[in-house]
Amino acid sequence: MTAQSLDTTVVVTGAAVLLPGADTVRALADGPAAGGAPVEPAAHVGRKGLRYKDRATQLGYALTAAALRDAGLLGADEKDGLSVPAASVGVVASSNFGNLDTVARALDTIREETVTATSPMDLPNASSNVVASSAAIRYGLRGPNLMVCNGETSGLDAVHWAATMIAAGRTERVLVLGVEPDNEVVRRLLGGGHAVDGGAALVLESRTAAELRSATVRAVVGPYRRGAADSAEAGRRWQLPEHLGTASGAHGLLQVAAAVGLFDSGESGPVQAVAGSADGDARADLLLLAPRAA
Amino acid sequence: MTIRPIVGMGAVAATGSGVGELFENLCAGISGRAELRGFDRTRFRAQHAYEVDDRPAVGEDVPGRASRLLHEAIAQAAADAGLGEDLSGIPILVGTGLRELRSLELWWRDGSPFADSGLHFGTGLRERFNADVTHTFSNACSASLYALALGSDLLSQEGEDAPDTVIVAGVDVLTESMYGLLERVHPTPPDRVRPFDRNRTGVLMGDGAAAIVLRRSAEDTDRVYGHLRGVAVNCDAYHVTAPSPEGIAQAMRAAHKLAGVKPSDVDLVMLHGTGTLLNDEAEATALADVLGDDASVPLMTAVKSMTGHTSGASGLINLIVGVQALNEGRVPPTVGLDEPVEEAAPFRFVTGQPAVDQPLKVAQLNAFGFGGINAVAIVEGIR
Repeated sequence: MTAQSLDTTVVVTGAAVLLPGADTVRALADGPAAGGAPVEPAAHVGRKGLRYKDRATQLGYALTAAALRDAGLLGADEKDGLSVPAASVGVVASSNFGNLDTVARALDTIREETVTATSPMDLPNASSNVVASSAAIRYGLRGPNLMVCNGETSGLDAVHWAATMIAAGRTERVLVLGVEPDNEVVRRLLGGGHAVDGGAALVLESRTAAELRSATVRAVVGPYRRGAADSAEAGRRWQLPEHLGTASGAHGLLQVAAAVGLFDSGESGPVQAVAGSADGDARADLLLLAPRAA
Repeated sequence: MTIRPIVGMGAVAATGSGVGELFENLCAGISGRAELRGFDRTRFRAQHAYEVDDRPAVGEDVPGRASRLLHEAIAQAAADAGLGEDLSGIPILVGTGLRELRSLELWWRDGSPFADSGLHFGTGLRERFNADVTHTFSNACSASLYALALGSDLLSQEGEDAPDTVIVAGVDVLTESMYGLLERVHPTPPDRVRPFDRNRTGVLMGDGAAAIVLRRSAEDTDRVYGHLRGVAVNCDAYHVTAPSPEGIAQAMRAAHKLAGVKPSDVDLVMLHGTGTLLNDEAEATALADVLGDDASVPLMTAVKSMTGHTSGASGLINLIVGVQALNEGRVPPTVGLDEPVEEAAPFRFVTGQPAVDQPLKVAQLNAFGFGGINAVAIVEGIR
């Protein structure tokens, strides 16, 4: 087991965002302008290893690298590797639309030709957890590896499960990732709308583990709740600009990343992230506290 | 080490619905294998699977089957534990490989109604059980044991909001895309699932769902089926489809440590045993390494030889069958296992007839998924 102490506080020590019009948490907090260029994963992590990877996995690579670097866990060169033991870093990823394009394309091929015409390279991408496992494989993260596909609340649920596993002593830190790709299948599913085609990532750590490596705390993870009831106003709420499209499984992570951007800019009050709706599946909310407030 | 009582169980697979029926059929060596029921067979080289026979007509698939099987398993487990049909406020953790992607497929090609709120299981669970603390984890073939790990972590939380009851479930049904891509990577189309056999041709999918009710303590419960002693989870971080014996062995050792058991304490191993070409050797190598001198001590079986590979449901189906086996001293055979692979030479497989009158106390359950995500649980019976 990893180090477990009485302090079960979980903190954010790294954050990254990649959206059209925003590639920093501060730009996200300020609200990205319309008309931003699409995210190019190769511009962030190079072309190597991107072939045969679906869009969600590529976005996940770029966000993982950026968040690990922001937390001081990965050097400028990927080859330098992690500055902490591989088993001390878990992954929790959230995406609802991640591999829908692979599923639809493989199905089209089977129906229009036969199974023999499908590509074996599509097999890993047909498994919905490919975003989470691929990030772990590329960056050598050997802790627990979890893919949350839980609808509108998925991103906040992912933060909750990362914090739960840290508090239970399963791992010291977790890379939490939320991505939603945009493509024809997603657009048809959304009835003409589009997905954000990007996302956000965080590094969550036990406060003890963060202190041991003298990491800078960027936010403190507060109470989380999921249920049918509406939640009371408990802090400032950040809104995703509508022109960016549907954030779905990335929505919660974008809100937490925006909260980090707000805290970085001097916000000292709590920020409340909310997702889902009480009359639908359920609603989730999560409180983020400024580093010095908790 | 924290021990959690299992107070309700439910399951459905090609081999039967209800824990009792499923277990009896598995002990009798009855396989759920049949010709493909829901797909156009002319599109595929492989022609068989282990499906639940619940469609209105052969060759005609209907949406929502994963949700239907999940609801059936949860309703069985909840009734068994005396929870009733209103599950509001009770965390329900669902492990799945493929969510409702079969319904997405039927929408994409055949025009059946579908919305993005139907990809995961929360919306249906709210409608059916008024459940609102629902979580869908899409963690490939180790999904339900990963969900079990998280459920046990929830029960270890302190504070007034901490739950005292958690429902853990697993479900999967065949999707055309996964069935097709899985057979595509086999040189010869798989014909049946023959775990650990030298002459096996590969893996075939099965439909299934399972659910258990787990409690913080045994107070105020009528019946306890067994106890969860620990679940370990990790990731090989090695390859998107190929397994790593080292990563699997680490998960097994971590599970033993969490549960406070030694290799010689393990009386029964419910193997992952998918019949996949690389995976059975990887599982056998890891298990032989971890058990060491005690590799011939536990009985071993792989029920996927009768249920097919039920993916996200399989870990929890193994748990339920394992608990029944511990309590009845009977172990279902691995059907179709004639000549074990070399890596599994020391193992005591149950083949042919079920093992009976066995003094069994502790079972190890294995589940490994694409991406090298490993989960191993240790349960104890009540005999």
